[in-house]
Amino acid sequence: MAGLAAAAGAPGGDLSHRRKPALGAWLVLAPLLAWLILFVVIPTIMLVVVSFATRDSLGRVVYDFSFANYERAFQWTWLRVFLQSIWYAFLTTVICVVVGYPVAYFIGRAPPRWRMILLMLVMIPFWTSFLIRTYAWLAILSRDGLLNGLLVASGIFAEPVQFLYTPFAIVLGLVYNFLPFMILPIYTSVEKLDGAMVEAAYDLGAGPVRAFSQVIIPLTRPGIVAGALLVFVPAIAMFAITTLMGGGSNPTIGEVIYRQFTSGRNQPFGAALGSLLLLVFVIALWLTRRQREDPG
Amino acid sequence: MKTIVTTLTAALAGLLLAGCGESPNSTNAPEASPSPAPETAAGTAPAATPAAEAASPGTTDESKRLSIFCWSEYIPQSVIDKFAAETGINVSVENYASNEEMLAKLLAGGGNYDIIQPSEYVVGALIKEGLLEPIDLAQIPNIKNVDPKFLNMSFDPGNRFSIPFMAGTVGIVVNTDVVKDEIKGFRDVFQEKYKGQIVVLDDAREIVTWAFFAEGLPINDMSDENLEKVRPLLSQWLPLIKVFDSDSPKTALLNGDVSIGVVWGGEGAILLNEDPKFKWIVPAEGTHLFVDSLAVPKGAKHPNNAMAFMNFILRPDISKEISDAFPYTSVNAAAKQLMSPEQLGNRASFPTDEEMALMQTFEDIGEQGSKVDELVTSLKVQ
Repeated sequence: MAGLAAAAGAPGGDLSHRRKPALGAWLVLAPLLAWLILFVVIPTIMLVVVSFATRDSLGRVVYDFSFANYERAFQWTWLRVFLQSIWYAFLTTVICVVVGYPVAYFIGRAPPRWRMILLMLVMIPFWTSFLIRTYAWLAILSRDGLLNGLLVASGIFAEPVQFLYTPFAIVLGLVYNFLPFMILPIYTSVEKLDGAMVEAAYDLGAGPVRAFSQVIIPLTRPGIVAGALLVFVPAIAMFAITTLMGGGSNPTIGEVIYRQFTSGRNQPFGAALGSLLLLVFVIALWLTRRQREDPG
Repeated sequence: MKTIVTTLTAALAGLLLAGCGESPNSTNAPEASPSPAPETAAGTAPAATPAAEAASPGTTDESKRLSIFCWSEYIPQSVIDKFAAETGINVSVENYASNEEMLAKLLAGGGNYDIIQPSEYVVGALIKEGLLEPIDLAQIPNIKNVDPKFLNMSFDPGNRFSIPFMAGTVGIVVNTDVVKDEIKGFRDVFQEKYKGQIVVLDDAREIVTWAFFAEGLPINDMSDENLEKVRPLLSQWLPLIKVFDSDSPKTALLNGDVSIGVVWGGEGAILLNEDPKFKWIVPAEGTHLFVDSLAVPKGAKHPNNAMAFMNFILRPDISKEISDAFPYTSVNAAAKQLMSPEQLGNRASFPTDEEMALMQTFEDIGEQGSKVDELVTSLKVQ
């Protein structure tokens, strides 16, 4: 922005030198700022305001002030749902790192002309709506579905196994949908990785394991941290995939909040849960920021 | 290279977020049926002239537009197209998946809807709050086709604010290939031996109502005290359930993932048509009879077009067309005369008079709805 401001201010005389560039910069920034204020700042304030309100019998928000929604949110019923969602999101993130890292590393180290093709192969399935892809998983995992058909026909299992509507299915659905968010940031780190560093590690006597854990991983850590954030945060709040794959019997916090705004007719309580979720995200961001600042 | 990757990531995030925005709607129409997108957003309509806005029902001085807010999977697109072709009225449709979702959007006031499709207990609540326009029955002569037992019901005496669209019930579907025992009521469904074999509607009030029926409690008195009374029974029932799905509970039954379901009558009727192995049972303890109505929300801009649509939908041939697509309980006596013996013989669509005697309608339970939801959620995660 500094360069742009300087460029904008260059033709002007000395007098206007300090004012004009600022104006130019603000003009360029204005759409973004307007967007952020309209669709991020104001809705967030509304959410927090509503979370302190109450509602009438039809579910309309009544603006009086009460902590009751927060008191209720800290009851064990809802805390359990929170913890369970965080656990699913954590598992999803860990599996995405374990599965996504080798893929990203392989693509990043591939010959340059192959990289774009391989990246496109990661991306192409995601050009279809994730709901359609999730319905495809229902057809694959159901009791009379593709996977069970194969397993039983090949004699691996005598009886069809219940895959669908289990926590396994929930985590599978989340991993499947969020994996590219892990692969792409790690890929950018791997691509920037200086091969000379790795060679130096070998020259200085490190084995492959040591070179990987003490050189490659630390150098690609920004990618891992960014990927983890991109996966963890949306995975906590996701409700469509978890409802479809889990059958609704292991409700996640996203489902519970959605329900408060619909059948629960309790928007203030939903807003309180949403505000708490926001707090979890802020904490997650803060932790990863510390990770980045403190490489030790 | 880096910019390309950044762009890709951004595009991917965009796709996923866009999908998220759609999800409530799409989750609720799992048939992959082309859910009619709002063709003309109400906001883009050339702002109706003040005169048209002020037009009281009875004058025909309003623009040729109609905005319908209805359940997903309930009014076939062909019926809407026919109405548009016959009257020249430009119809836009938006869908919802629960009464509460409809209420939330209606009360937020953004929709400018001319017709809504609330269930009986919501009609009662909306009338009480003065949120419906009165209906001019003189403009709806086809109301004569409606079976009198669905007229003049307790939630809207004299049909001053609503006309019945379709009725239906909740009942038990059993896959007789797997379940050999006789199932008569809710207590037979929720047994330890059927653990992991059950799909139910993902609707807290329905689930709690079944327990009320099983315990013989009055289903519209969901006081704290009565909710505590059914808690032990529900805490036995809920862990047995494999799938909660209000939108398409038939899917889990058809896929073989479960073999017993407590589902909407219309879903049951489709299963019975699909495969004779499915059997329909009206619970012996009693069950919910719902009457979905059409009504005009307060301040609607096109009330006369709305009433023209109500009259159209009560025409016997049109009503039959709706029943062909969505086999709930027709309230239209004249349309039933056009239906095939198979259609009329489907017990999930058309319960007998004895079965009807076991059914009760819902009344609005207001703020207790949240407690009901909390009860069910807490037992789901126990």
